[in-house]
Amino acid sequence: MVTKSDIEKTLKESIARQKMVSESEITPESTLDELGITSLDSISLVFDIEDQYGIEVPNEELKKLRTVGDIIDGVEKLLAAQNR
Amino acid sequence: MKTVAITGLGCVSGLGLDADACWQALREGKSGIQPLKGFDESDLKVATAAQVPDYRPEKHFQPAQLGLLDRHSQFALLAAREAVANAGLNEAHRKTMAAVIGTGCGGKETDELTYQKLYKEEKRRVHPFTIPRGMPSAASSQVTMDLGIQGPAFTVASACASTNHAIAQAVLMIRAGLAETAIAGGTDAPFTYGLLKSWEALRILSPDTCRPFSRDRKGLVLGEGAGMVVLESLDHAERRGAAIHGLIRGIGMSADASHITDPSPEGAARAMQAALDDAGISADSIGYLNAHGTGTQLNDLSETRAIHAVFGDHAGRLAVSSTKSMHGHALGAAGALELIATVLALKEQMAPPTANFTEPGEGCDLDYVPNQARPLKNARFAMSNAFAFGGLNAVLVVERAA
Repeated sequence: MVTKSDIEKTLKESIARQKMVSESEITPESTLDELGITSLDSISLVFDIEDQYGIEVPNEELKKLRTVGDIIDGVEKLLAAQNR
Repeated sequence: MKTVAITGLGCVSGLGLDADACWQALREGKSGIQPLKGFDESDLKVATAAQVPDYRPEKHFQPAQLGLLDRHSQFALLAAREAVANAGLNEAHRKTMAAVIGTGCGGKETDELTYQKLYKEEKRRVHPFTIPRGMPSAASSQVTMDLGIQGPAFTVASACASTNHAIAQAVLMIRAGLAETAIAGGTDAPFTYGLLKSWEALRILSPDTCRPFSRDRKGLVLGEGAGMVVLESLDHAERRGAAIHGLIRGIGMSADASHITDPSPEGAARAMQAALDDAGISADSIGYLNAHGTGTQLNDLSETRAIHAVFGDHAGRLAVSSTKSMHGHALGAAGALELIATVLALKEQMAPPTANFTEPGEGCDLDYVPNQARPLKNARFAMSNAFAFGGLNAVLVVERAA
C-alpha cells in the first residue's frame, strides 16, 4: 500500500533531480512557480510518477496543479480509485 | 559586398574533443577509425567507426540539461562553445548573432530509443521530452539557448552537404547585412542500431578502414561529431581586433538532378566552378583541395573526373586530400570538420594527408597527398567539397588570412 509520504518522497526526489534543488527546500506548500517548474517540467514529473505507480493523470487534472501538495493529493486519489 | 571572416573554430570528432586535437591528428596522418564500440548485436556487419573517444556526457552537462540533449545536440553545444570562446565574442555580440546548423540525421537516436520502447518493449507511453529532444532543429535551438544567441537561427539539412549549405546560408546573411556575426557548422550522431543497419543495407560501408582514392578502397567508414565556425563581417572582426583564421571567399551550390545515390561529375563540377566564380578567382589560384573523398568506388572516381573538368592542367599540380580517412564520414558534420581542416591547412601552410592510402585506384590520377602531411608552397586559396546523396552539392572557397 502506497502512503502519502511515499508519494511525497518520490516527488521530492524527482523535483530535486530535475531542478537541481535540495529536497529540504521542497514542501507540499511550495508552488511549482517558486521551484521554477515550467509546464514541460511538470509533464516530465508526472511522467515519472505515472511510470512508477502505473496510473494515468488526465490532461485536465494536469492543468489544475499549482503546488507540490496538489500533485501528491492527485496521485493519492488516482491510486485510491485504482484500488477500489 | 561584405567580406566574411572566420574568427572562431570548434569541433568534436573521432580525433578528439576539440579543434586542436583534431588538427594535431590530421597533421600526423593519424586515423581515428577504430573497432566499433557500444553494440553487442552480433548481426551487425559494421565493424569499424570513428567514434568520439572517451566521451562522457556528464562531464560537460548538468543532469537536468542532459535529459533534453540528444547526442547530436551535445556535440553541437561542445563545438559551438569552443568556437565562440575561440572567437572571443561577448554576450552583447551574441545577442545579434545568427546560428545556422546543418544535420543529416537530427535526433534519430532519441526517436529510435522511443520506438524501441513502444514496438519492442511494448510500453504504452513514451517520455515527454521525445519531441523537443529528437526534432531535427533541436541542436540549433539548444545552441541558441546555451549561448544566448538571439539573431536568425535555423537548421539546414542536405545529408552529407548539410554543413556547407549551412555555411553558405550564414555567409549570405552576413553579406546581405542581416547579421554581423554567425555561428555555422554541422552535427551528427549516427551510431544507433537502426541507422547502422540502414547504412549496411546500402552496401557502401567498408569492412575495415577508409582508403579514399586507393585501388583497394572498400567504402566509407561512419564518423560522428560536430564542427562549428564563427563567421563575421571582416569590418566587424577588424573593429574589435579579433584574430582572423581565414576568409570565406566563395560559395557554390548545385543539384545533379540525376540519381538519388549515384553522384554525377557534371553536378559536382558545376558547384566547384560556381564557388570559384563567386570568389572571383581562376582555378589555378587554388593551392589545396579538401575532397569529399568518401572512399566509395563511385564518389572517388566521379570526384576525380570533376576536379579534372574544373581545374584542367592545374589538376595535376593541385594537392588533393580526403581527411575522411581519419575523422570518418561524419555526415552532416563532415563539411565542418573538413572546413576546419582546410582553414588550418592554409593558416599553417600544411596539407593534411589522405591516410590509409595504398596505391591509386583506376582513374584516380591526382596528387592525393598519400599518408603524410606536406608543406604547401605559398597557397593563398583552398577549396572544400561536399557532395550529398541525392546530388545536392555545396563547395566553399577559403582564403588565407592576410
